[in-house]
Amino acid sequence: MTLDQVSDGHMIITGLLLGAVLGFVFQRGRFCVTGAFRDLFTIRSTRWFTAFMVIVAVQSIGVFALDALGVINLEGGTFPWLGTILGGFIFGFAIILAGGCATGTYYRAGEGLVGSWFALICYIAGAAAFRFGPLAGTTDAVRSVEMQDGNLQEALGVTPWILVILLVAGVGVAVLRQLNRERQMHKVQLPALKSGISHVLTEKAWHPFVTAAIIGIIAIAAWPLSWATGREAGLGITGPSAQIGVFLGTGDMELVDWGMMLVLGLLIGSFIAAKASGEFKIRVPDAQTTVRSIIGGLGMGWGAAWAGGCTIGNAMVNTATFSFQGWTALLFMVLGTGVAAKIFIMGGGRKGATATPKLTTVS
Amino acid sequence: MTQHVLETDGQVCPFPLVEARQAMEQIASGDELIINFDCTQGTDSIPQWAAENGYPVTDFSKRGAAEWSITVRKS
Repeated sequence: MTLDQVSDGHMIITGLLLGAVLGFVFQRGRFCVTGAFRDLFTIRSTRWFTAFMVIVAVQSIGVFALDALGVINLEGGTFPWLGTILGGFIFGFAIILAGGCATGTYYRAGEGLVGSWFALICYIAGAAAFRFGPLAGTTDAVRSVEMQDGNLQEALGVTPWILVILLVAGVGVAVLRQLNRERQMHKVQLPALKSGISHVLTEKAWHPFVTAAIIGIIAIAAWPLSWATGREAGLGITGPSAQIGVFLGTGDMELVDWGMMLVLGLLIGSFIAAKASGEFKIRVPDAQTTVRSIIGGLGMGWGAAWAGGCTIGNAMVNTATFSFQGWTALLFMVLGTGVAAKIFIMGGGRKGATATPKLTTVS
Repeated sequence: MTQHVLETDGQVCPFPLVEARQAMEQIASGDELIINFDCTQGTDSIPQWAAENGYPVTDFSKRGAAEWSITVRKS
């Protein structure tokens, strides 16, 4: 083992720390990408989707700045369109069943949602099977159908900064419109029982755009921190989750990297946030939710493997670098979420957990 | 004025809100709906829904670890 490898080994601890901060922020911010996509259909609200795009825009500025400074080196790959379309749709459909995307499932598992524990275990198993296991052949086959141009700036032959400016402007307009709308309404907050920093960190309701900006900065920091360990990528959830699945079966220490530390950190960070805020509770789902969590978890692993990433790796990170895979995955994930929301939330199959809400009249 | 209680503990998002919207259709104008929920995201989505619809919130409190209650008046 060379000295470089030794230092790399120590550096993966930054993955654990960054993951813990990210898990904390996701939990406290109630940030749910599934909700952001779902609300477009169920309540026709763009509030959380706009917040999601804030992350993409903030990260886009940071990533291209890091690239320009030579800290990281972005290289355009190819565009495996067939896998991205099919996998994106499957993933989007599955996250409605699982009750959260990959990241959402990690942080809800840390909050004590047993349904998310089932979904997480099945997601890890599914991702491992489709990335490294017996079903990896289907992933290779579907992702061998590709186009050569991997990203928008190379296809158009323009500097990425033009795209960054357009993205930031578009998201900026959406943010201002939402803030204007909110100025005209009064949203009730929980009464404050804490003060100072503990109120801000473990009680206060964070505005979605503030949470999004913080996540954007964390996502930028992920690039150089991960790069320093030899993992040349930003935030990613599915690859590391698949590695956990393989690692549990083989004990191969080569698989223990920055990404695996990151996802473990998510669990730890959200657990700390939930505990500190009095929001940790073991919550056991009913039979139907359990079955849905299991099927949804497997579907997430399958879809993310085919698409080349989940809502984070693809829809949030690959979009920031203007890769065709990222934007195509985002579109088809949203469509998959919409179809599943129509069937399982808005459809006749189940309105609420009970056929009709159980109302008790008290006075 | 009558108060109605909607128990949604154990339900994951977005079902507490889905049921709250249905329950609101069932109750009379001027009545209050007390929604008990233990889905964390509901602490954002339910008061947001009340604000967007102009429903006054007469109580919003934490009942215990990861358990909340919100009272919304149908106006």
